[in-house]
Amino acid sequence: MATKPMTRSEQLQQTIVYPLDWLEERSGLVGGVKYFLFRKVPGDTDWWQTLGSATLTAFLVQALTGVILAMYYKPDPTVNPRTNLPVAYQSMQHITNDVFAGWLVRGMHRWGASVFIILMFMHMGRVFLFGAYKYPRELNWILGVLLLASGLAEGFTGYLLPWDQTSYWATVVGVNINGTAPFLGPFLAQFLNGGTAINADTLSRFYSIHMLLIPGAIFALIGLHLYLVIRLGVTSPPWSKEAAGTGPLAPPETNGAGRVGLVSPSARRSAR
Amino acid sequence: MATDRVVERRRIFKQYKEDVKERGKPFYPFAMFHDTVMSLVVVIVIIGLAIVWKYTTPGNHHTTAAGWLGKLYDEPADPGTISFVPRPDWYFYFLFYLLRIFKWPSTVILGTIGIPTICLLLLLAVPFLDVRSERRLLHRPVAIVASVLVIISMGVLTYKGATAKEALGTELLADVPHWAEKQGFSNNPEAVAGAKLFAVAGCLNCHTYLGTGSHNLGAPDLSAEGAKNKGIEFQISHLKCPACVNPGSPMPSFAGLGDANLHKLATFLEASKGPK
Repeated sequence: MATKPMTRSEQLQQTIVYPLDWLEERSGLVGGVKYFLFRKVPGDTDWWQTLGSATLTAFLVQALTGVILAMYYKPDPTVNPRTNLPVAYQSMQHITNDVFAGWLVRGMHRWGASVFIILMFMHMGRVFLFGAYKYPRELNWILGVLLLASGLAEGFTGYLLPWDQTSYWATVVGVNINGTAPFLGPFLAQFLNGGTAINADTLSRFYSIHMLLIPGAIFALIGLHLYLVIRLGVTSPPWSKEAAGTGPLAPPETNGAGRVGLVSPSARRSAR
Repeated sequence: MATDRVVERRRIFKQYKEDVKERGKPFYPFAMFHDTVMSLVVVIVIIGLAIVWKYTTPGNHHTTAAGWLGKLYDEPADPGTISFVPRPDWYFYFLFYLLRIFKWPSTVILGTIGIPTICLLLLLAVPFLDVRSERRLLHRPVAIVASVLVIISMGVLTYKGATAKEALGTELLADVPHWAEKQGFSNNPEAVAGAKLFAVAGCLNCHTYLGTGSHNLGAPDLSAEGAKNKGIEFQISHLKCPACVNPGSPMPSFAGLGDANLHKLATFLEASKGPK
């Protein structure tokens, strides 16, 4: 092979590009990431549109801190005869008082839940304010409402896990309220309790729902939600002078008198 | 008409795609910069809350005392407890308080199931109720009024739920002689013992009795419960499993109190014929 020896920068490029090309050829992932990063968003996109990604960040904090908590938490309501405390309660105390930075991880999970829920509401408010749920983004609004309901269900199921008085009795009443729903209510309450009333199996049931069932659903819903955001695009603020969807902008030198495009200025004003 | 709308919104979306292509900016680095800053703020706020929670709690270890953000943890769960406050996390306060507005048994189902379900369905239906392409706020009066009403009502309900008074068993215990006198069961020791139990067992966190207690979750006033003459047997089986006797009751089971205590409570309730 009589090829010219490569220069240093060419060698370097080769080592970076080769694995990427290998991956791209087999998965198309590199192109996907490139499309995601370099796709165009409206020029007037600003802080308003960061609430969605902020909500995602809060969820990822919950997922990460939740995984760490799960390494120490024991969903067992039986009373340890030596300490006279329920095992679950004791493991929560152990996380809070003894495990290195356990208080921080538990505190982040506890308060991250509130931040996550506040951000979901704020993000929803922004979408409502912008009219961003309108055609063709109706499905994404519905996915968002399902995410909100799933988030609240996470809050409800997670509240029981410390297994203290507050969490226990709030959950007893909460499950009873679920049980009052017509038709499905009694089945839902029985499913949540793992029996006719709160019992030894209820805690592990809540734990499983809280860390496997609903988070799985949330991950899937977020995936669909983001897919639709990327496919349909981000909405301009409705008050923006250069909102995407209003047609080409007037060239500054003509002062709006000589706009180009097929739509007449009056029609354009009403068509946002 | 409808086809006009369909044609119009398709045209606007096509125009949107063209505009973004023509004069949009790439997501990276512009929008991504904003997103990154905002996400950092979120993480810092979460860590900050965790720190405030821990370091404003009086004492260092093993305490159920409350700091600025409340207790690190409460006493361990005890199904046989005789004092509890059913209080959800703050973002459910609006639902919690909603239940105070409705009266047991006729309309409480509206508060527990009816209104939340209707709200959820309405929320899902928003894009189908509002099908116009108009996005400018001043041209969407219904949307503005609806959102202002939702924000005000959620805010008020959350605030009221947060400030709802909790009944303290120790303070209520002092009312027992007064109750016994008004109801005329002073010389019935079983009923007086039941009244003491009633005061400390958390009953008054939902029920009211002769003007004390906090009316929660649609629970009825019990001042004249005995006037219904349902009998001690009924009261005991109701306390053991409220929903079995009263389908749809959100009241928790008090079977954990034990038969002797339940008999005292039932005697007290049956002796409460209304103030004389």
